[in-house]
Amino acid sequence: MSAQFATKRLGKELEKIHNSLPPGIELVSAENFEEWQLDIRVLDNNPLYMNQTYRLKFRFGSSYPIEPPEVVFVKLPDRAIPMHPHIYSNGIICVDLLAAQGWSPVQNVESVCMSLQSMLTGNTKNERPPGDEEFVRANRLRPRDIDFYYDDNTV
Amino acid sequence: MARLKLKQWESVIADCDACLKLSPHSMKANYILSQAHLPLHNYQDALDYAVKAHELCVQTGDRSLPNITTQVLRCKKEKWDDQEKRRERQTSELEREVVRMMERERDEALRDATDAGDAGLQDIDAEWTAKIDTVRGIFEKARPKEEQRRVVPDWAIDDISFGFMLDPVITKSGKSYERASILEHLKRNHTDPRDPLTRDPLQISDLRPNLDLKQACAEFLDENGWAADW
Repeated sequence: MSAQFATKRLGKELEKIHNSLPPGIELVSAENFEEWQLDIRVLDNNPLYMNQTYRLKFRFGSSYPIEPPEVVFVKLPDRAIPMHPHIYSNGIICVDLLAAQGWSPVQNVESVCMSLQSMLTGNTKNERPPGDEEFVRANRLRPRDIDFYYDDNTV
Repeated sequence: MARLKLKQWESVIADCDACLKLSPHSMKANYILSQAHLPLHNYQDALDYAVKAHELCVQTGDRSLPNITTQVLRCKKEKWDDQEKRRERQTSELEREVVRMMERERDEALRDATDAGDAGLQDIDAEWTAKIDTVRGIFEKARPKEEQRRVVPDWAIDDISFGFMLDPVITKSGKSYERASILEHLKRNHTDPRDPLTRDPLQISDLRPNLDLKQACAEFLDENGWAADW
């Protein structure tokens, strides 16, 4: 699959994003077709995330959308990493949707943002994944190369 | 292949024609011929060869399908652009001609009306100016409205590539995708291929051409060639 395929599709996604995005999702930067940044907010009164905005970084390979994008939360002076049992404190997200086996090419940047938004909305646990400290210290792999074990589908 | 890059189109075409005589079902020869004819403005030839290459590619299951699909759409787009340019040139020429003729008539009328006086001449002039404006307005109305045409119906768009569909195939769930896109998806997950929407198991052999949608897409594209590279 040529890189042209990814570029064309991302161009169309961007056009759509510029026209409209669902509430709580904002485009921060999309200067090329390799990396985009978006801000997301949780819209209800979940006390874990109220009044907070989180920064997401998308990285696209040349096989997008056949291959999933790499999506992580980014820590900035005014952007924290949200507390969630599937989000490591370095911003890496462990979610089926973004892994090779859970990804589908009909997903897109907007739908990924909405899924993450609702993943936060539905969470009540103020905790990190088990083994967070160890993982953050030891992990040198890129998110897509990590073999996550999806042991808990309730969160 | 190198000569294709060097833009020596004529000799590329000669080579491929010779090749096609030897093996009429060479997908590659058809594909390269399409690429060589396009820059020479042989739009119909380029399109015919691209369509032939696409057909052969589907039969053989060759992995060039995404590129060939793009080539067919590119040919359709350039052919349409060319037709549009010509049509535009023709209508604007016609408009200029008609206006020129009317202006001549006006000048003649002004010359003939030697005894009409200043006020009379002004009346004649105003009358002709109004007539000419009316004709210009009619030409203006006949011009296609850009913004009106720039809407691509969702049913014609492939949800994987977001491109206009050329050869839609339908899955068991009833959703259609561009053949090149869905094949790429199913091949990547060849150990456990699944429907992108429902995640139900889905084999390549389960796909069926969606002929009605294919025809609807082709008809839309005939009238709206700009949509080919939407």
